[in-house]
Amino acid sequence: MNTDIIIKNLSLLTPELIVTGTLCFVLLGHAFDRKNSQLYVLLSFAGMLTALFTLTSYIGVKSSVFSGMLNVDPFATYFKIVIVFATLVILVMSRFSDEVNNETETVGEYYFLILSMCLGMMFMVGASNLIMMYLSLEMTGLTAYVASGFTRKAKDSSEASLKYLLYGAFSSGVMLYGISLIYGLTGTLNIAGINHVLLQGSANGWALSIASIFIIVGFGYKISAVPFHYWTPDVYEGAPVTITAFLSVASKAAGFAMMMRAFKVMFIDSSAVSVLAGTWTFIHGVQIQNVLIILSVLTMTLGNLVALWQDNMKRLLAYSSIAQAGYMLLGLAVLSNDGFAAVMIYFVVYLFMNLGAFYVVMLISNKINSEHIDKYKGLGRKSPFLSVALAVFLISLTGLPPTAGFIGKWMIFLSLINAKMIALAIIGVLNSVISLYYYVRVIRNMFLRDEQEAGERMTFPYAQQILLLSLLIPTLYFGLFFNQLIEFAQFSVAMVGVK
Amino acid sequence: MNLYDIIFYFFAVVTIASAAVVVFSRNIVYSAFSLLFTFFGVAGIYVLLNADFLAITQLLVYVGGILVLILFGVMLTTNVVSVEIKTGTMQTLPATIIVALLAGLLGGIVWTTDWFVGKRLSEVTSQTTSKEIGTALITTHVLPFEIASVILLVAIVGAAMMARRERSNTNI
Repeated sequence: MNTDIIIKNLSLLTPELIVTGTLCFVLLGHAFDRKNSQLYVLLSFAGMLTALFTLTSYIGVKSSVFSGMLNVDPFATYFKIVIVFATLVILVMSRFSDEVNNETETVGEYYFLILSMCLGMMFMVGASNLIMMYLSLEMTGLTAYVASGFTRKAKDSSEASLKYLLYGAFSSGVMLYGISLIYGLTGTLNIAGINHVLLQGSANGWALSIASIFIIVGFGYKISAVPFHYWTPDVYEGAPVTITAFLSVASKAAGFAMMMRAFKVMFIDSSAVSVLAGTWTFIHGVQIQNVLIILSVLTMTLGNLVALWQDNMKRLLAYSSIAQAGYMLLGLAVLSNDGFAAVMIYFVVYLFMNLGAFYVVMLISNKINSEHIDKYKGLGRKSPFLSVALAVFLISLTGLPPTAGFIGKWMIFLSLINAKMIALAIIGVLNSVISLYYYVRVIRNMFLRDEQEAGERMTFPYAQQILLLSLLIPTLYFGLFFNQLIEFAQFSVAMVGVK
Repeated sequence: MNLYDIIFYFFAVVTIASAAVVVFSRNIVYSAFSLLFTFFGVAGIYVLLNADFLAITQLLVYVGGILVLILFGVMLTTNVVSVEIKTGTMQTLPATIIVALLAGLLGGIVWTTDWFVGKRLSEVTSQTTSKEIGTALITTHVLPFEIASVILLVAIVGAAMMARRERSNTNI
């Protein structure tokens, strides 16, 4: 591998290079002008916008770079767009967040951390070698540990950070053990190479199952699937809202993308003839489909049931995001291209509605300094625009028409029905009904309950309202005009190394 | 049992026994010192496997760097010797069952599996691995190598940020 090849490979990584350059500039800027947070936001925003722009020119590119370490394919590009877009929203959100702006000393590092988390996630979605997967997972993890303990005053924040770190260290240790087992079985770390060796059928089934389950532990932690979810509520509550929102959307998207690629490339049995077009099966001996089904049912049921008792908005949204991960795992468990496309569609929808919900929570917390659900009483009168927006986001999270959340859920259930997994689809629908209760509780508090003391109207600057609108409009738009999104997702299912 | 096996078992016993002391000792200074033998034993096993570069790195980084750092941390923390570390055992029964099951499963797998064998020690021709590792790091593995450097940058910034926060807290 000579320099020419390296340079050629690097040109396919332009978006990542731009992000890396931006984060270096933010760090340098921090050395000169420590408290100028406007500068960091502008710099980061410009960098991420350029990255997003260059990403669009890679749509359709299908290539493997750096001796199979990383894949640049439509699947990765799709998720990179989701992640970079989420980063852009989070950057603007952070600019408006009192929680972040109060930390004048460390605000530069904050933006540096956001950017490096984004970089780690961009590598996660493309990684096609177990070393790369582990490294990018650690990069995202490390930044997330520090970022979730960002706010100085909150005691919860340090606790969140420590819990996150301990769980993270444990689960990545288990995952690393699984990786070492896989290497011991096959003698390679490249996921396509592993598949090639496994297809020859010499590997011990037990060892393979244990190794794959160990690897699922690492992924499950990242996407906060039950029973690896214990860190989620505490971290989501303790971390600044911006970081919580970022973790719940982008980090989850990256974890899902990595998991989907790992399973689809590593354990697929390409020799088996499948009954339905587009479906595929795992190599004989790998029982991951059952594991995935159990995980998804547990995840959504537990997430929804525990969310019923939550009184803190951040905690409620944390459990709701656990439940949402459960729905998405359903799409994974189908083991078909339809299911994968459904998960990808869901992530775009989820990006807008979940970031929107967290954004409203943040704006309200800026004003009343509380996230308790009782404090939302009478909000419909004090700030009609915010309340209506939050109501739309919550309805969308439930999955009711005419919002985008309906389309996301609809596609997942459709793929389940197509694969004749009716029982699972019914469990999913029942779960949505349960979730309606706690989402509506918030809406009821805002519009139908009077508050004890009469507060005055809340006003918000136009800039903050514009960001809210730009999250609200897509949530409604994709609920009505979804064809292009579905086509784009189905086009982007293609991965390198899969027929 | 030839000399090679005897040396291997020696290092294996040293590693495991000292690791047990690290976990079970109630005095953090004892734990820190017996960690020295754990790292040393692992380095010995690396040497036996012809992994000279790894062995040296293990000594330099873990024994020379991390262990010294831990010892400094222990010594600079006031009253650490006299403070009883909370080392309780909870949920003994479920933990025992799970650990026994997992150990049995993993042990069974280790014994029954046909592990991948790259090169046997007798087939190894090159005298040193440093050259091959060096070449791999800047050719096939250049991307992970560079990403590791970004991770280190992030780790340094994160550590500095948390440390500075502690300091400004004490000032208030």
